[in-house]
Amino acid sequence: MKHVVIASAFMAAIFSFLSCGKNKETENTVTLRLEHAVAGAPLTLNKIQYQAQSGHRFSVERLKYYISNVVLYRADGSTYESDAVHYREEGIAATAELALGDVPDGEYTRLRFIVGLDETTNKPNGLPPTPENINMEWPIPGEEGYHYMKFEGKYDSMGAGVIKSFNLHTGAAKNQPYYVAVDLTLSGLSVDNDNWNITLQMDLNEWLQNPHTYDFEQFGPGIMTKPAAQQILMENGASLFTVHAAVRE
Amino acid sequence: MKNLRFGLVAGLALLLYSACSKEPEPGPPLVYDPVPYEIDIPSWFPPMTIPPGNPTTVQGVALGRRLYYDPILHPAGATSCAGCHFQERSFSSGPAILPHVNLGWNRNFLWNGRVQGTLEDIMYFEVTEFFKTDISRLQNHPEYPRLFYEAFGIRQISHELAAKALAQWMRTLISANSPRDQSIWGVPRIFLPDEAIDGAIIFNTERGDCFHCHGGIFFTDNQFHNIGLDAEPAEPGYEAVSGNPADRGKFKTPTLRNIALTAPYMHDGRFKTLEEVIDFYSEGVKKSPNIDPLMKWAHLGGLHLSAKEKSDLLAFLHTLTDSSFIRDPRFKSPF
Repeated sequence: MKHVVIASAFMAAIFSFLSCGKNKETENTVTLRLEHAVAGAPLTLNKIQYQAQSGHRFSVERLKYYISNVVLYRADGSTYESDAVHYREEGIAATAELALGDVPDGEYTRLRFIVGLDETTNKPNGLPPTPENINMEWPIPGEEGYHYMKFEGKYDSMGAGVIKSFNLHTGAAKNQPYYVAVDLTLSGLSVDNDNWNITLQMDLNEWLQNPHTYDFEQFGPGIMTKPAAQQILMENGASLFTVHAAVRE
Repeated sequence: MKNLRFGLVAGLALLLYSACSKEPEPGPPLVYDPVPYEIDIPSWFPPMTIPPGNPTTVQGVALGRRLYYDPILHPAGATSCAGCHFQERSFSSGPAILPHVNLGWNRNFLWNGRVQGTLEDIMYFEVTEFFKTDISRLQNHPEYPRLFYEAFGIRQISHELAAKALAQWMRTLISANSPRDQSIWGVPRIFLPDEAIDGAIIFNTERGDCFHCHGGIFFTDNQFHNIGLDAEPAEPGYEAVSGNPADRGKFKTPTLRNIALTAPYMHDGRFKTLEEVIDFYSEGVKKSPNIDPLMKWAHLGGLHLSAKEKSDLLAFLHTLTDSSFIRDPRFKSPF
C-alpha cells in the first residue's frame, strides 16, 4: 500500500510539472477587464444622478455592447490579433473579462479594438444564436445585423420637469458602419512567459461629449434610423476608454 | 497488498449479493433500455442546450407527457398541468396562465422570474411547491413504477425524477410553423397579406418598437420589464425576486408566438383582446418611476398609432399563430 501511495505522488508530481511547463512556454494570457464609470466614478444604475455636457441630468439603466477586432501591437509594428467577439453587459460579472490566449512573448505598446462589429460579422446570423446575441439583433428591414451597443436610461428634460427616456442604440444605421475605433497606448506590457491583466474603463460621459455635445432632446428617445446621431456617437467614442492598469498576474 | 486483494474480492461479493437481492420481485422483469429521442428542432431555431444529467429519451418524453395530463401530480387528484394549459390555446388559458411553448430555450420562469435555470428547475418547483405532489401515489400506482424504471433505471420514484420526465416532455413542445415562419423559411414560401407586412415593419422598427422586448426567433427577450401598466405598480413583480426596488412592476416578457390564442393579456389578465393591448401601447402607457426606457414615448402616454397602424400590427400578430402546433397529435393527451 505504501508503494502505491508513493507511486501516485510521483505520478502527480510529474503530471503537474509537465502541465506547468506547458503553460509557461506557450499559453500566455492577456485578460482585458472592462469596467464602466461616469465622470470617473464607478457606474451605479437606475438613478438620475449624472450630468451630461448638454445640461441634462441622466440615469443609466442598461448597458450592453460588443468589442471585437482586438489587436495588440509591438513597438516594431508586429501584431497579435484576436478573432474574439466579446459581449459585455453591465451587471453580469461573467461578461466583464475577455481573455486573449496564446499571446506571444513581447513588449506590447498599443491596443486597438472596435466597439461594435465589423461588416464581416454584422449580418444576419453573423454571430452564434446565444440568448444574448439574439437579444442584440437589429431587425430593421434592409439593415439586418446586430446592435453594436444598447446604452439606455432616462433624463430630466429640464424646464418642463418631464422625465424622458434615451436609448443610445448604435449599429449600422442605413447600412453605414458606425462602429467605434478605440486606439490605446500601453506601457510596461512586457509579456514574458506570464499572464497579464489590463483594466479598461469606459466613461459613459464620453459618449455625450468630446468632440461633440450629444443632446438627448435633439435626437429623441430612439436613434436607430438617425445617421447624424450615430455619427456623433461614433466620433465621441474614440475617447471612451482609458487604460487603468496593466499588471502581471 | 494481500489485504487489498481480500478487500476487492469482498467488495465484489457484496456488490453481487446486493444486486441479486433486489431481483426477487413480483411481476414481469423491469427493463431499462432507454432510446434516445431526437427533438424536432427546425433549422431556423438555435440548438437547444440539454442538461447532461437528463438526456432526452423516448421513454422519458412519454412519461413526461403522461404526467402532464394526469391529475395524479395533484395530492387530491383534482387537476393536472393540462387542466390549465390547453393545447388548443398554445398550452395556456386565462387569466394570466403563461403558455408552454418553446420553453426549452427559456431561462427565466413564471411572471416574476421566481424560478431561474433549466426546465428541470421549474418542473421541480411545480411538483414540490405548486402541486406538492404526493410521491407515494406514483410509487403505489400499478404502472408508474415500471414507466419510471424504463425512463431512468431507478425503482424509487422521486420529485426529482418526475421533474426530469416533465422537463423532457416540455422540451418537445416546439412551435415554429406559423405563417410568419412559412413566409421566411417555408418550402415553398408563402406570402403574407399586405397589412401584415406593413405591421411587421411597425413591429421591427422604432415606430412600434415591439422587437426590443418581443424580438428574435422566440418573440421574447426572456427578460423583465415595467411597461407602464400602472403609475404605481400594485404587484412587486421581479422586485420580489431580486429585492431591488428598481425592479418593481417588472414582469417577464411573454412570447408573442401564438399570442392570438392566449387571451387575456398581461400578468393580471387585464386586457381581454389584442386590440386592447395595442390601444394600451398607443395611448394608455402610465408614467411609472421605473418604467423601462424602451417605452420611448411614455411621457406622451404611448406611441399614438393611427387606426391603420393598429390594424396592421394586429394583422402581423395574427401571422404568429401556429395552427399545426395546436393540433399536433404528439402533444395530445395519451389517455
